[in-house]
Amino acid sequence: MTGVQTCALPIFAAGVEEPNAYVEVGAPSFEAIVAATAVPVVDGMEVSPRPGMGRLPGGDVPARPAVHTHRHVETLVIGGGPAGRAAAAEAAAAGGRVLLVDERHRIDDPPEGVLCLPSTTASGIYDDGYVVCYERGVELDRVWHVRARRVVLATGAHERTVAFAGNDRPGVMLAGAVRTYLERYGVLCGERAVVLSTNVWGHEAALALASAGASVLLLEPVPVPGEVPDLAAAGVEVRSGWVVVGTEGEPALAAVHLAGPAGERETVPADLLAVSGGWNPTVQLARAIGCGLRYDEAGACFVPDGTGPDWLEVVGAAAGEVPPSAPLFRIEAGDDAEKYVELQRDQTVADVAAAVGRGLRSVEHVKRATYIGTTIDQGRTSGTLTAAIVNALLGWDPGAQGPSNPRPPYTPIPYAALAGLDRGPRLLDPIRTTPMHPAHVARGAVFEDVGQWKRPYAFPHPGEDLEAAVTRECLTVRRAAGVLDASTLGKIEVVGPDAAVFLDRMYVNRMSTLPIGRARYGVMLGLDGMVVDDGVAVRLAEDRFLVTTTTSGAAMVLDRFEEWLQTEWPELRVWCTSVTERWAVAAISGPNAREVVAALEPSVDLDPAAFPHMAVREGEVAGVPARILRVSFTGERSYELHVPARYGLGLWEEVLRAGAELGLEPYGTEAMHVLRAEKGYIIVGQDTDGTVTAEDLGLGWMVRTDGSDFVGRRSLARADLRRPDRRQLVGMLPEDPETLLPEGAQLVEEAGEPPVRMVGWVTSSYRSPVLGRTFALALVEAGRRRIGTSLLAALAAGPVPVRVTEPVFYDPEGSRLR
Amino acid sequence: MIVPRGPLADRTEELARLGATELPFLAQVDVRCPPAAAERLGLPLEPNTARALGRREALWLGPDEWLVVGPEGEAAAIVAELDAALPKGPHSVLDASDARTVIELHAPDRLELLATGCGLDLDPRGGWVPGRVAQTLFARAQVVLHERERSTRVFVRPSFAGYVLERLLAAAELLRR
Repeated sequence: MTGVQTCALPIFAAGVEEPNAYVEVGAPSFEAIVAATAVPVVDGMEVSPRPGMGRLPGGDVPARPAVHTHRHVETLVIGGGPAGRAAAAEAAAAGGRVLLVDERHRIDDPPEGVLCLPSTTASGIYDDGYVVCYERGVELDRVWHVRARRVVLATGAHERTVAFAGNDRPGVMLAGAVRTYLERYGVLCGERAVVLSTNVWGHEAALALASAGASVLLLEPVPVPGEVPDLAAAGVEVRSGWVVVGTEGEPALAAVHLAGPAGERETVPADLLAVSGGWNPTVQLARAIGCGLRYDEAGACFVPDGTGPDWLEVVGAAAGEVPPSAPLFRIEAGDDAEKYVELQRDQTVADVAAAVGRGLRSVEHVKRATYIGTTIDQGRTSGTLTAAIVNALLGWDPGAQGPSNPRPPYTPIPYAALAGLDRGPRLLDPIRTTPMHPAHVARGAVFEDVGQWKRPYAFPHPGEDLEAAVTRECLTVRRAAGVLDASTLGKIEVVGPDAAVFLDRMYVNRMSTLPIGRARYGVMLGLDGMVVDDGVAVRLAEDRFLVTTTTSGAAMVLDRFEEWLQTEWPELRVWCTSVTERWAVAAISGPNAREVVAALEPSVDLDPAAFPHMAVREGEVAGVPARILRVSFTGERSYELHVPARYGLGLWEEVLRAGAELGLEPYGTEAMHVLRAEKGYIIVGQDTDGTVTAEDLGLGWMVRTDGSDFVGRRSLARADLRRPDRRQLVGMLPEDPETLLPEGAQLVEEAGEPPVRMVGWVTSSYRSPVLGRTFALALVEAGRRRIGTSLLAALAAGPVPVRVTEPVFYDPEGSRLR
Repeated sequence: MIVPRGPLADRTEELARLGATELPFLAQVDVRCPPAAAERLGLPLEPNTARALGRREALWLGPDEWLVVGPEGEAAAIVAELDAALPKGPHSVLDASDARTVIELHAPDRLELLATGCGLDLDPRGGWVPGRVAQTLFARAQVVLHERERSTRVFVRPSFAGYVLERLLAAAELLRR
């Protein structure tokens, strides 16, 4: 290894159960805080101790890249110890895909026919065998989404400590960890060792230490169950009935204070105190998915009680096959305030006693009072110990209650790993573009986000600012012609013998009377009678309609259609198909629009008598198949050219070329907003907010009153929807024609000290190039009655007088549409 | 003269790096009709499967929905034939070409790459074999997957095609190094 920094760490354990030794990894990729015992060392690694909490450095921190992978298997085995390997081998022999994961960096003797993933931690087990696993790679992290028919938990057991005075001093370690460092890594953790043992595992550790050359003193506070090795032969001194009552040494252990069964006191020099207080089956994952626990007398621990999902099996040590242990959880002698229960939270027997003394009985309450088990290690070494101490303090049986409930993730997962590939400007969320997009980019369009779509906001000329560009685009449409990329408009084909009946039920106005080849503006309500979307329905044939929706409402409207068809009216013979993306749409608008379309050599007769406003024709334009819709969102004569998406870019370029001589220029969404507002055309979601009815918008004339049903009709009879003082859509002209009201501005009747009653607000506000002044749309209480009166817009700078007007500012007769 | 153009027309280099080609102009016809009528047309009734109909293929998309895919330029003929074959009884047949483009993945690791964003069992041992079809999500995009001999077709809305390509490439760059 080169370039590896070294630092002193108070290591206690040898795996993810580590409560003490936490580090920040600075390179090769940043990790805020991670157990030193769970991170493989690599060349060039930078680590620094990070006790307690992690920190986020400023700036752009390079995170390890991560990718997610979904994997389906017949059997997932969690844990690569002997029990897990045996279960995996058996499953593989029976046929089917088997995946074995283990959080350790190596899986010994990997079974044949089994996909083995070391360094991979099962983070959480969810319903129906869905398991999320985190693979901590050296250069690449992976999150595995595993769906398994059967899950075998072979997660083993974690050793626990004993609560004695001074058990938090560096140099106090778990006996099993000491053995792991010795036997797996060849590291002798101390040369003068004291071992405190309640079970045969501690004795084995003492034997291993002695065999490696350490001098070892073994304390056996209470008789250890089972057959223990002959330690005397190995030169280990064994003292029965002796306990630890204190430790000393800075910065690490130098001596251990002992007490004997007859009250003897002795201090022995030591650089290692290895503790084995028994073994806790690793049942966190099982418990979180609903497996219960029972107390096991022999192991003095909690083991699965056999309940839980039928696809889950717990085997080996996790199932309770742990060495028998004496039920010793704390040493009576010594200061309770120095007997640590939770090393990461520095909580002692005294702290637990204080919580119990305040009347808390449940381990869940004690957890919340002491924060035991709430740290990064999730109380893996402290949970059972805390439960045992709480039970003992209350005079209850050791098995009266087990450790507090665990939740996923089992070990911390970096956010960057959870995000996987779905981050950064390109992949955080899809960026949707239209077929014309390359032309917009080439022309220097400024884009705005509309949902996931990138739409041109405006097409500024060189040296032109955005406001000037919008003004120019508005005037171009009013005076000559403009073309808008309207491809994002939602489009649904509604087909079937009952299509007209169905649309009658979905819209407030009647679509069944629409002649073939004609279009009608429609409004759709929610069950509450409020406007949810608007659009145009076009009758293409007796049994075939094209319905357009707002850009943002496209998916919602199709979902509504499907919901009503599938749940309420399955008898209707109607099919709805999204064709939004089949058609690219160039909307040509302006006094010269007809001439522009004519220049594209359409196969249809453009004469207004043959092809009037609100009509549709199918044919060819510029040599490609097209649907031409005469609908307008600007108030000008308009032709929407719908062509198959593959021709969208080519058509756009043709329109710009053919329209150039006629003064045509492209315009963006902001000019469209200004132009439609000048005509008082609403935008659902901007001029409505889910509390606005068709009547409120001045569209009450559209609503059928012939008694036939449509979605939302019954709500229209509610008293609240018939109040005369409901907020209604009106126009608004600031007295000062230069004042641009902010959208959302509150409207009041008179100025005064707050609180002042608000009577409405501004929903849309623009500068109108054609009017030569500012204007707005607003929702105002009893707004239509107020037309001709004045209100005040309550702005931070002071009240601004405004005049309430009709919401149509331009060409109210609609003569320019024809 | 307007030249047709696929959504990934200017991204051939990235497609090649991925091990994919774009088939933007296939004829695609969306068929909605009762299963009994579909059976008479030879459309597959087994969910999530495709069936060859001569030079065309019919993909099962739902209990009453199929996508008939054919060579470029045949959409009108397919619509006419199906409309003629379904004269009685309610149905919907519409040309849905261009509503989805097709990214055809040839790379040997294509299923591994798709598994980075798709929760289905895309493994032959789990039943994902040529002839299987799925309407599903790849990352945040709706897709239709069609497994074929030595390739997987990803049907995707044109506006999402660039995203799907980039997402697949990002996975490939991490998993292939």
